Amino acid sequence: MKALYQFAKNVSRNKAFLLMVLPGALWLLIFAYLPMPGAIIAFKEYRFGKGGFLASILESKWVGFKNFEFLFTAQDAFIITRNTVLYNLVFIVLGLICSVSMAIILHELTNKKLSKLYQTGMFMPYFLSWVIVGFFAYSFLSIDKGVLNQVVQYFGMEPISWYSEPKYWPYILVFLNLWKGIGYSSVIYLASIAGIDKSYYEAAMIDGANKWQQVTRITLPLLQPMMIILTILAIGGIFRADFGLFYQIPRESGILFPVTNVIDTYVYRALKVVGDFGISTATGLYQSVVGLILVLTANGIVKKINRDQALF
Amino acid sequence: MVRKKGLSLLALVLVLSLVLAACGGKNNESGSEGSNSGTNGGSEAPVELVWYTIGTPPRDLQKVNDEINKITAEKINATVKIKMLDWGEYSQKMQIAIASGENFDIAFTSSWANDYFGNAKKNAFLAIDDLLKSHGQGIVAALHPDFLEGTKVNGHNYGIPANKELPQQRVFRFNKTFVDKYNLDISGVKTLQDLEPILKTFKENEPTIAPIPAKIAEFFHVDMPINDIPIIGMPLDTTDYKLINVWETDEAKAYLETMHRYYQAGYLPKDVATQKDAGDYFKTGQWLVDVADSQPLADNLWSADAGYEVVSVPMQDPISFNWSVAGSMQAISINSEHPEKAMEFLNLLYTDADLMNLLDFGIQDVHYTKTGDNTKDIIPDSGYGFPAFTAGNLMLTYLNSNDAPDKWEQFQKFNDSATAAPLLGFQVDTSKITSELASLKNTKDAVYDALFSGTVDPAVQLPKAIEKFKENGLDKVMAEIQSQIDAWVASK
Amino acid sequence: MKIAKTRRLNNGQNLSRPWNFILNLVAGGFAFLCVFPFIFVVILSLTDEQSLLLNGYRIWPEKWSLYAYEYILQTGDQLLRSYGVTILITVVGVLITVSMTTLYAYALSRRNFKYRGFFSFIIFFTMLFSGGLVPSYIVVTQMLGLKDSVWALILPMAMNAFYVLVLRTFFSTSVPDPIIESGKIDGAGEFRSLFSLVLPISLPGLATIALFSTLGYWNDWFNALLYIDSNQWVPLQPMLMRIENNMQFLIQNSALLNSGQGKDLLSSLPQDTSRMAMVVLATGPIVLAYPFFQRYFVQGLTIGAIKE
Repeated sequence: MKALYQFAKNVSRNKAFLLMVLPGALWLLIFAYLPMPGAIIAFKEYRFGKGGFLASILESKWVGFKNFEFLFTAQDAFIITRNTVLYNLVFIVLGLICSVSMAIILHELTNKKLSKLYQTGMFMPYFLSWVIVGFFAYSFLSIDKGVLNQVVQYFGMEPISWYSEPKYWPYILVFLNLWKGIGYSSVIYLASIAGIDKSYYEAAMIDGANKWQQVTRITLPLLQPMMIILTILAIGGIFRADFGLFYQIPRESGILFPVTNVIDTYVYRALKVVGDFGISTATGLYQSVVGLILVLTANGIVKKINRDQALF
Repeated sequence: MVRKKGLSLLALVLVLSLVLAACGGKNNESGSEGSNSGTNGGSEAPVELVWYTIGTPPRDLQKVNDEINKITAEKINATVKIKMLDWGEYSQKMQIAIASGENFDIAFTSSWANDYFGNAKKNAFLAIDDLLKSHGQGIVAALHPDFLEGTKVNGHNYGIPANKELPQQRVFRFNKTFVDKYNLDISGVKTLQDLEPILKTFKENEPTIAPIPAKIAEFFHVDMPINDIPIIGMPLDTTDYKLINVWETDEAKAYLETMHRYYQAGYLPKDVATQKDAGDYFKTGQWLVDVADSQPLADNLWSADAGYEVVSVPMQDPISFNWSVAGSMQAISINSEHPEKAMEFLNLLYTDADLMNLLDFGIQDVHYTKTGDNTKDIIPDSGYGFPAFTAGNLMLTYLNSNDAPDKWEQFQKFNDSATAAPLLGFQVDTSKITSELASLKNTKDAVYDALFSGTVDPAVQLPKAIEKFKENGLDKVMAEIQSQIDAWVASK
Repeated sequence: MKIAKTRRLNNGQNLSRPWNFILNLVAGGFAFLCVFPFIFVVILSLTDEQSLLLNGYRIWPEKWSLYAYEYILQTGDQLLRSYGVTILITVVGVLITVSMTTLYAYALSRRNFKYRGFFSFIIFFTMLFSGGLVPSYIVVTQMLGLKDSVWALILPMAMNAFYVLVLRTFFSTSVPDPIIESGKIDGAGEFRSLFSLVLPISLPGLATIALFSTLGYWNDWFNALLYIDSNQWVPLQPMLMRIENNMQFLIQNSALLNSGQGKDLLSSLPQDTSRMAMVVLATGPIVLAYPFFQRYFVQGLTIGAIKE
C-alpha cells in the first residue's frame, strides 16, 4: 500500500517528464514491443497453417536451440565469427578516430566556405548503395579493365588479380567502410563542437593556450560523452556485419571467403538451401543477445568510472 | 523569419498531400467503376480473388484486369484482382505475405522464385488433389501427366504448372555471324571438349574477343537431389538408386580440366569467375558460344532478341527434372477463403483462349493487332506486357506472325519426347541436416565459380575442394538423403 | 533573459598557414574521393549505351547521350508523383520524428527524472532486439491496417533509438544544469524551460537529428517494398531499388535469362545508363539540402550570453 502511494507520488512529481516520453513510449509499444514476441520462432520449427501467423506459431513444433546449432557446429563458425568481430572492432576504433579528427579539422579550417564544401562532399557516399559502390570498386579492381591494374602495369609490374588475393581485402573493406561512413558520423561531432560554450575557448585564449592545447584540453574532453555513447552503441552491433559491404563488394569471389565471409553473408547463403524463418530469427536473436551482454559490460565499466556518461 | 519558413513548409505539405490524394482518388474511381460494370446478374454476389503474380507491372494492367473481370464474372461469377510484383521483389514480398497469413487466393510459385517445394513442404499452399478432380478437369486434360506427377510433394499436388516446355534441354548457343564468317563446323559438337578446334580457329582470327563470354552451365549425366549442392548426384542411368560424388567422376574431372585449359588459352575472359553479367555480350555481339536451356524454336526467339542470328546444338536429349517441371506454377493459398473459385479461375486459364490472349497480350487493337485466325502482332510500347510463361495454358494463345504455324505441336512433341530424371518427384527433407547443408552451401559458393570457370587448376584445387566438402559433413548428408531416397523408392 | 546570438567568435588564434594548408589538403582530398564516384555516376548516365558496353566505364566517354533520361522520363507522371510522395513523407516524417525524439530525449537528459534509467533502457533495447520482419508486417498491415497507405512509410520510422540517445547526449553535454536551474527559479515548468531555454541553444543537435531523419526518409525503400503494392504511393528510392533488385535477380538466375523466358525479364530492365540516371535523379535533390542543415553546425553559440 505504501509502495503504491510512493509510486503515485513519484508519478505525479515526474508528471511533466512522463508526458514528454508518452508519445515515444506509445510508439515503442506498438512498433517495437508488440512484434517482439515473434522472436519465439527462433525456438520453433516453423510451419504455416490456416489462421495466420499466430496460429501457425502455436501449431509449430518446439525444437529448443536446434535453430542455433548451425552457427556453432559449422566448420566455418570460427572464421565467420572472427571476421565479423574483428572487422567491426577495426571499424569502431578507426571510425571513431577518423570522424572525430575530421570533425575537428573541418571546424578549424580558416576558410569556412571551403569547409562547408568539403562537408557536403563527404556526405555523397552515403547516398550510393553498396551495389553501385560495388560497380565502382570493380571498375578499379577488374583484372584486365581495372584502373588500378593499368597503373600497376604502367610502372612495369605484373597486373594483380585483386578478386583472388585475400591479403588485400581487409584493407579494401576497411577503407570502403570508412569512406562511406565518415561524412555521416563526423556530422554528430561537428554539431557537438558547435554546441560547446565559446567562453571556454575565450578563457583558454586569455591563458595563452595554443590551438593544439585548446583541442586536447577543451574540445576532446567535451566530446568525450558523445564518443562514449556512440562507441557503446556500436559495440551492441559488433556481431552484426554490414551485409552489403561484405556481399556486394567482393563480388562473391569464393577465394576471398576466408577474409570476407561474415555471419550475415554465411546465413544468407545458407538460407538459399534451407529457407527457414527459424534460422534467420535465431541468428538475429543470437547477435542481439551477445550485443546486449557486451553493451551491459561496457556500460558497467563506464558507470564505474563516471556515472554521468553511462548509457543507463 | 523562422515562422515564415515554417508556414511555407506547412503550405507545401498541404498542397502536396491534396494533389496526391486527388490523383489517387481519381485512380480509385476508375478502378471501381471498371469492376462494377463487369458484374453480371448471378444469384450470388461475385467473389473477388486476389492473385499475386510475378513480373514488372505494366502501365495498363488495371485496364486489362477490368476486361478480364468481364469474362470471369460471366463464366464463373468471380472477379480477380491481379497484383503483379516485380521480379526482384517477388520472392521476398511473397515470403512475408505468406508467413503473415495474408488473405490472398492464388500466387505464382516456382523452383526459382517463391520456392515451390519449400513452401509446399511448409504447408503454405493448399493440397489440391481433390479440387483438381472437382473443379479443374480442364487443367488435367491440358497438361502432360508428368507435370502433375513431377510436382507432387509428399504425394500431393500443391500447384499447377503452366503448360509450356516440360523438360530441360541444355544446348550450346552460337553467334551465327562468326560461325559463318570463319566457316566453323558446329554440327558435331556435343560436349565441351568438342569445342576445342572451333575455339582455336576463332581465337586465331579474333584475338581480342573471348569466344566464351561468361560462366557457362555444365551438364553432367546426373540428377541432383539439391540443386545448390551440385556435388551430390544420381546417375541418370541408375538402376540401384545409389548417390554418387559427382565431382569424383571422370566426366567431371575431364570437364574441369578442359575448362581450365580453355581459360589458360584465353577462351574465357580473365575475370570470368567474378563476372556479374546480365547478358551484356548478347547485346554487343562480341561472343562465339555459350550455354542455354532450350525449348522448341528457341533459336528464332534468341535471334529476334539479339538482332542477329543465333543457332544452337543440343548437348543432351530432353529430360524432365524436378526444377524444370516446377519451372512456373500457380498455387492456391492455404488461407484462401474461396479455394473452389480459385480453382475454377485457374481452370479457365487452361481452357479459355480469349482469357489467355487477353492476359498475355492485352486488349485487341490497343495492345496487339490480329493478323490471321491464330496470329497476332504486338504493338510496341503500347503499355501492356505479361510474362506469358508464368501462367496458364500457353498453347491456347495466338502465335506471332513470324512463328512456325506448328509451334504448339512442336511443344507437345518436345514434351512427349522427354524422359523422366531418376529423382523426378522426390524431395529432400532438410530438417535433420540443416547445419550441414548450411556449411555445404557456403563451401560450394567458396569453390564452385573458380573451378567451373576454369580459373584455377583442378589438378590442385579439385581434391582440396572435395576434401573441404567432406570436412563439412558431405558424407553425413549423402547418407541421410540416401536413406530418404531408399524409402521413396520402396514406396513407389 | 534574452538569447543573444553572437557572431561566431574566433576561438583562439587562427590555424597557422602551413597547418591550414595541410589540413585543407587532407579534408579536401578526402572530400574529392567521396565526390568522385558521384561525378562518375553522372558521366555514366550521360554515356551512350553502346559505347558503354563496348568500352566499359570511362571518365570521358566516346559518345555522349541523353537517352537514359529520355527513357526514364517516358514514365512521365509516375516520376513526378514519386517525387511528390518522397517529399511529402520526408517533410511530415521529419517533423514527427524530431518532435517525438526531442521530447523523449530531453526527459532522459534530465537528472531529476526518476525513471530516466528505465526509459533509456527500453528504447536502447529496441536497437538490439526486434521481433523480426513478419511480426512487424502484421502489426502494420493487419492491426493498424496501413497497407498501401502513406502512413506505412512514415510511422514505422518515426522513432529511432540511435537518434534519441545521441540527442540525449547533446542535451546533457551542451546544456549545463545551471541554465535550467536558473529557469526553475523563474518558475518555468519543464515544458517551458525546454522550449524557451534548451531548444534555442541545442540547434546543432536538433539539426543533426533532422538531417539524419531527412536522409533516412529520403533513402528509405524497404518500407515501400513491404507495404506498398500500388504505384500510387511509391516514393523515388524504391523505384531505383526495384531496378537494382531486378538486376540482382537476373544475375542470380542467369540460367533463366538464357532460357528464352528471360526475354520478358530482360525487356523490362532499363540499361546500365538508365540505372545511373535513376541514381542521379533520386539523390540529386537531397544532396542540395545539406547546406540548409549545415548552417547550424558552424554557427556556434555563446551560452554565456543567455544567462544575462
